[in-house]
Amino acid sequence: MTTTLYLSNDTSARAAGADRLAHAWAGERDLQMVRTSSRGAFFLEPLVECDSPAGRLLWPRATLSDLPRIRAGIGGVQLADVPFLAQQQRFVFSRFGQTEPLSLTQYRAHGGWQAADRVAGWSSERIIQEMKASGLRGRGGAAFPVWNKWDIAQRTASDQKYVVANADEGDAGTYCDRMIMEGEPFRLIEGMLICAKAIGADCGYIYCRWEYPAAAETMRAAITEAERAGVLTVEGRPFRLEVFRGAGSYVCGEETALLSSLEGGRGMVKVRPPYPAVAGLYGKPTIVSNVLTFATVTEIVSRGAAWHLALGTERSKGTVALQLGGRIRQPGLIEIPFGATLREVLERFGGGMADGGRFKAVQVGGPLGSLFPESQLDIPLCFDAFNDAGAVLGHGGIVVFDDQTDMVELARHYMTFTAEESCGTCIPCRIGSVRSRELLERIERGQGTPVDLELLADLGETMKATSLCAHGARGPYPVLTAIEHFGPEFRSRLRNIDP
Amino acid sequence: MTERVRGALTVLLSAHRPEPGRRAHILSVLSAVQEAFGYVPTEAVPLIAGTLAVTEADVTGVLSYYPDLHTVPRGRHVVRVCLGEACVANRSTALLESLCHEVGAGLGQTTSDGRLTIERVYCLGNCAVGPTVMVDEQIYGRVGPEELHTILESHP
Ligand SMILES: Cc1cc2nc3c(=O)[nH]c(=O)nc-3n(C[C@H](O)[C@H](O)[C@H](O)COP(=O)(O)O)c2cc1C
Ligand code: SF4
Ligand code: FES
Repeated sequence: MTTTLYLSNDTSARAAGADRLAHAWAGERDLQMVRTSSRGAFFLEPLVECDSPAGRLLWPRATLSDLPRIRAGIGGVQLADVPFLAQQQRFVFSRFGQTEPLSLTQYRAHGGWQAADRVAGWSSERIIQEMKASGLRGRGGAAFPVWNKWDIAQRTASDQKYVVANADEGDAGTYCDRMIMEGEPFRLIEGMLICAKAIGADCGYIYCRWEYPAAAETMRAAITEAERAGVLTVEGRPFRLEVFRGAGSYVCGEETALLSSLEGGRGMVKVRPPYPAVAGLYGKPTIVSNVLTFATVTEIVSRGAAWHLALGTERSKGTVALQLGGRIRQPGLIEIPFGATLREVLERFGGGMADGGRFKAVQVGGPLGSLFPESQLDIPLCFDAFNDAGAVLGHGGIVVFDDQTDMVELARHYMTFTAEESCGTCIPCRIGSVRSRELLERIERGQGTPVDLELLADLGETMKATSLCAHGARGPYPVLTAIEHFGPEFRSRLRNIDP
Repeated sequence: MTERVRGALTVLLSAHRPEPGRRAHILSVLSAVQEAFGYVPTEAVPLIAGTLAVTEADVTGVLSYYPDLHTVPRGRHVVRVCLGEACVANRSTALLESLCHEVGAGLGQTTSDGRLTIERVYCLGNCAVGPTVMVDEQIYGRVGPEELHTILESHP
C-alpha cells in the first residue's frame, strides 16, 4: 500500500530541511510525497505528516532515519498534542499545512473561493458595508479602516482604478505575507478580486519584494491557474493581475513610495494628500493594502462581519497574526484574537528562551518598533494599547533578544538601517539618521561623551517631529527605547572625561 | 563595455522600447539588463536612456536608488547573510564576520578568485529558522559557522 507523506513546501520549511528529506525519499517504493503549505510551527520543521484513522499524525524535526517509523505509524503525535498549534484560534490560517498551494480544486474543496462566489450577487455598497460592519483595520502597520479607503476609491469617478497588494513585507522578523503567498496564493487573489469589485477596478498588481523569490513564483503560477480556470474576473470581465518585483528598498513598502516604484521610478515617499485612494498609480484611484488585509477580507465575506466583530478588543477587531522570532525556543507564526498580553504570548507560544539564554528585551513591530524590557511585558497586543504606549504593533513581528545582546551595538545596527534605507526626501531623516549612527559608532568605540547621548535624544525628537513618513519618524524609537531601558549600558561605554 | 555586450544590450533594449504615448518603465528595464548581464554597466546608461527616451539622470536616479541594482560585476556566487533583527538576535553579525574572515573579503567585496561576493540582506522572511543565509537564490536556515562552511563547499 502506498503511504502518502505531507511535507511543507514553504521557504522556511525547505530552509530547515524539508527539501533534503523530500529529495532523499523521492526514489522510495510505495511512497508518495505531497508538498503543502505550512502550519507556521517552524520550530518543528522539518515536519512530516501522515494520514491515520485518527487524523493527521505529525513527526516534528524528522530525520532521514525516521522513515520506517513514519511508515509504521510509530511515534507520531496528534495536532491536539502540540500546544503551540492547539492553543491558537486560526481563521485566516485555518487551512495552512493541509493543502497544495497551487491546487485551486483543493482550495475550493476546503472552503476557499466561497467569498468570491458570494460577492457575485452583491453590490459595491454591500461589500463596503460588510467591511464597515466587521471593523477591519489594515494589517500593514497604519491600521486604517479598510471600508473607509474602499469607499473613497469607489466614490471617486475615474476611467481606470487599481488594486495593489503591498507584498513588500519589509519589517525584519515578519513572514506572514510570505507564508500566505507561498501557501494560499488563491486567498490573496480572492481578496483582491473582492476589493476590485467593491471599487470598480479591472487591473491589479502584487508588489512583491525582491527577497521573496518563491512567493513571487507561486503567485505568478497561481494567477496563470486562476486565468485558466476562468475565475480571474470581476463582474464577468477579465481582471488583469500582475506580479511586480521590488529591488531591495525598505521604504518601497510605504504606499506612495511603492506606487512610484511600480511606475518605474525611484521609490520615494510623496506628500499626502492626495491619498492613493483618490489619486494613486498613474494618478488613478488605487487601493494599496497589505497581503494579510486582503487575506482577511475573504474570511470576513465567507464568515460574515459579525464573526469578525465578535473577536478581539474594543477597537482591534478580529485576529492578529504574530510572528515569533529571535532567541525563543518555539519561533513560528500564531493566529489569536487581539488582546493577549505580550508576556502570555511569549510564555504560552514562545516556550521560553532558546538554550542558554536569559531574556533581555523584545522588539515588536519591526525596525521601527519599540524595545520592551521584562517589566513592560504586560502590554496587550492590540493597536490602541501600543499606540498609547508610544509603540507600534506594525505587522506583528516579535523578536526576542537574550542577555548576550550588546544594546549599544544593537542601537547602532538599527540606526545604520534607518540611514541606509532613508529615501532621502526629507532632511531630518536623511541627515539625522547618519549623524545618529555616527554618534552611536563613537559610543560603541568607547569615545562618546554624555553630550553625545543628549545629542542623540535631540536628533531623535527632531526626526520624530519633522519626518514625512514613519521611517524617519519612528526610526529613532528602537534606539531611544534602548537608551531608556538600558541606559547604564550606554553610559558605561562613555569616555571618562575630567569633571 | 565590449562590442559584444553592446550588441546584446541593443537587442535586449529593443524589446523594451516604450509604446507611443507611454512612459518607459526604467526599473523593469534595468532589472532585465541586470538579469541578462549580472549587473548594469554604467557605460550603458546613455544607450538605455536613448532607447527609453528619458534623460541619463532619470536612469542613473533609478539605478542608484535600489540596493539590488549593481553597477559592477559580482562573483560567481553571491552570499548574503541576513542582518534582520531576528537573525541578529541569533548572532548573524558574528556569522558575517567569520565568513568575511574565512574567505578574505569584506562586506560588499568579491573574493580574489572571483568566486564569492559577500553581501548583507535585511530579512528574507525566514526569521523563524534563522540565522539565514542566501546563496544565489537558495535560502538556508539555522546556519552556524560550520553549516556555512558546508554550504559554501556545495557552491564551488
Ligand atoms: C517606511 C514604511 C514602510 C512600510 N512597509 C510596509 C510593508 O512592507 N508592507 C505593508 O503592507 N505596509 C507597509 N507600510 C505601510 C503602508 O504605507 C500602508 O499603510 C499599507 O500598505 C496599507 O495597507 P493596509 O491598510 O492593509 O495596512 C510601510 C510604511 C512605511 C512608512
Ligand atoms: S522620513 Fe525618511 S524615508 Fe520617510 S520620506 Fe522622509 S526621508 Fe524618506
Ligand atoms: S530576520 Fe533574517 S530572515 Fe528575517
